[in-house]
Amino acid sequence: MKLSFKHIAPFLNVFQNKSSRWLGYIGLGVGVLLLLCSIQMYININQLLKDKDPKKNGFDYISVTKTITNDNMGKDNHFTENDIEDIRSQPFIDGVAPLKSNSFKVMAGAGDVIPFSTYIFIESLDKDFIDTVPPNFTWQDGQAEVPIIFSSDFLEMYNVFAPGSNLPQISEKTAGSISIFLQCTGHNGERLFKARIVAFSDRVNSILVPENFLDELNKQLEGVDGINCSRVFIKTKDANNPQLLNYLEQKNYHVNKDKTKFGRVKQILQTIVGGLTGFGILIILLAMVLFSFYLQLMVARSKENLQLLLTLGYSPKWLSKTVAKKWTPVYIIVVLSALIITEIGQWSFQQFVLGDSEQLSPFINWTALLVAIILVLLCIIINYRLIKKLLNKL
Amino acid sequence: MASVFLFQMQISLQQITPVFLEENKIAESAIWNKTMLFGKEERIHIIASSGRGKTSFMHFLYGLRNDYKGKILYNNEDISGFDKEKFSNWRRQHISIIFQDLRLFPEQTVLQNLEIKRLLSPYHSESKITAMAKRLGIENKLTKLCKTCSYGEQQRIAIIRSLQQPFDFLLLDEPFSHLDENNRKIAMELIEEECEARKASIILADLKLIEYFKADKIIYL
Repeated sequence: MKLSFKHIAPFLNVFQNKSSRWLGYIGLGVGVLLLLCSIQMYININQLLKDKDPKKNGFDYISVTKTITNDNMGKDNHFTENDIEDIRSQPFIDGVAPLKSNSFKVMAGAGDVIPFSTYIFIESLDKDFIDTVPPNFTWQDGQAEVPIIFSSDFLEMYNVFAPGSNLPQISEKTAGSISIFLQCTGHNGERLFKARIVAFSDRVNSILVPENFLDELNKQLEGVDGINCSRVFIKTKDANNPQLLNYLEQKNYHVNKDKTKFGRVKQILQTIVGGLTGFGILIILLAMVLFSFYLQLMVARSKENLQLLLTLGYSPKWLSKTVAKKWTPVYIIVVLSALIITEIGQWSFQQFVLGDSEQLSPFINWTALLVAIILVLLCIIINYRLIKKLLNKL
Repeated sequence: MASVFLFQMQISLQQITPVFLEENKIAESAIWNKTMLFGKEERIHIIASSGRGKTSFMHFLYGLRNDYKGKILYNNEDISGFDKEKFSNWRRQHISIIFQDLRLFPEQTVLQNLEIKRLLSPYHSESKITAMAKRLGIENKLTKLCKTCSYGEQQRIAIIRSLQQPFDFLLLDEPFSHLDENNRKIAMELIEEECEARKASIILADLKLIEYFKADKIIYL
């Protein structure tokens, strides 16, 4: 018969002090559950807000204009090169790009598909600042068709306005296939172009054309050569940086507050989840401490018997391993229960709150699963080392 | 848990002296501060009156205490460098002991006391325990709690427990102090048989000469 825990169990006071043992298990379960739920919530928040996230490569991109007041109405409110240089020199700003605008008149129409034409504005922006830049967003002198990146918000606005004006509503996909006619008129003449929407931007509320196209037409039609912009895009690590907000306020610049507000909401949510994670870890630590007290008590109460077992030839290594192994299934059950509850929570959230949305998986993320496995291993290792240490002290 | 040490153990003493013992007792002793070797199938009888360090000597040999000067070697290895793990290996396979203070588990039954030793490195079958208990007259005590047994019965339990493992050396520290003459002889016969079967040595320490122990060497401590 192989020697196992059941043979040495009568010699140890393992079944005494049930309350602290059960408190340890419950504490561990609650802590693990909090930790796993926090991790899953953190992942969910990032997943759900990903599409709306103004960040690209860890940066926030915000649009800045000069605030129009009764005092400066009618004056030139374009950004000068000096203004742009001043913005660029600020330590909390990682980049700045002007949104150049047209100096000539632009009339756009869609022919027979949408029997509607209107004066529009077009702008150009450094490609690094645009969230969606397809490879065909280029223009060369003599090219008849101009690629356009259109604001998603503008399309949404059009779809709201269209039914009232007896115009068809259009999807993003359809919008991309519509041929648009651009009539560009200036003091020096008129040019006609075909245009096509090649992408939609969530970040830039504008109608963007390639930079060289705009420069060329500004020069040809109005003789304007240089930066002509009423707004600039700022690249910064944190749009909510108080220094940045103070600077913009001091310069009387206007920011798209919705984007910074969104950043703040996300920051608050992540702080709450971070707090919950910390709280979960704290509870796990407390449960481990409680459990270690229980083990110390067990060893202290069984001290004479354990000493005698060692005297008779029992190996401290074997005893530690065998005693520690006794709790392995308990740890697995506790962590598995927490995992199952987290999964039920995730599934319910995806099914009932999000209505089976594809934005979120009904299953918990692999990170939470990995953390659960690591926690089980950590509990087993800590348990083994603690018992071994206590036995070696005897 | 089984570990195999396939060799015959030897114990060497190199000028060991207990740090607490008076100079004159050390000077008069045939063991303290002497060099000697205990080898295969020897029968060593150590005789000493109270206070000469008899139990301390047995504990030194078994590795329970280290308050001595000099060296004790198990097969050329100084036991002062052994950790608990290493001692456990030797105690499972090569050296067994009957303590003067018996060291049984009082809250466990007699059978549990014997099984916990037998299962560690099984040498005999479970039925052999019953046979030995019958021979020493305690078979009706096997299911009783150890603390309910008399000291004489407990001494016989300790004797049977020491014989449940393989060993090269059996250390006996006043093993028959609470046994009557008849039980002493029966116990000694059993011990001799078990040691012969293992080709093991016996080191028996007692207050006076035990005539029915056929010693090769009698050493006065």
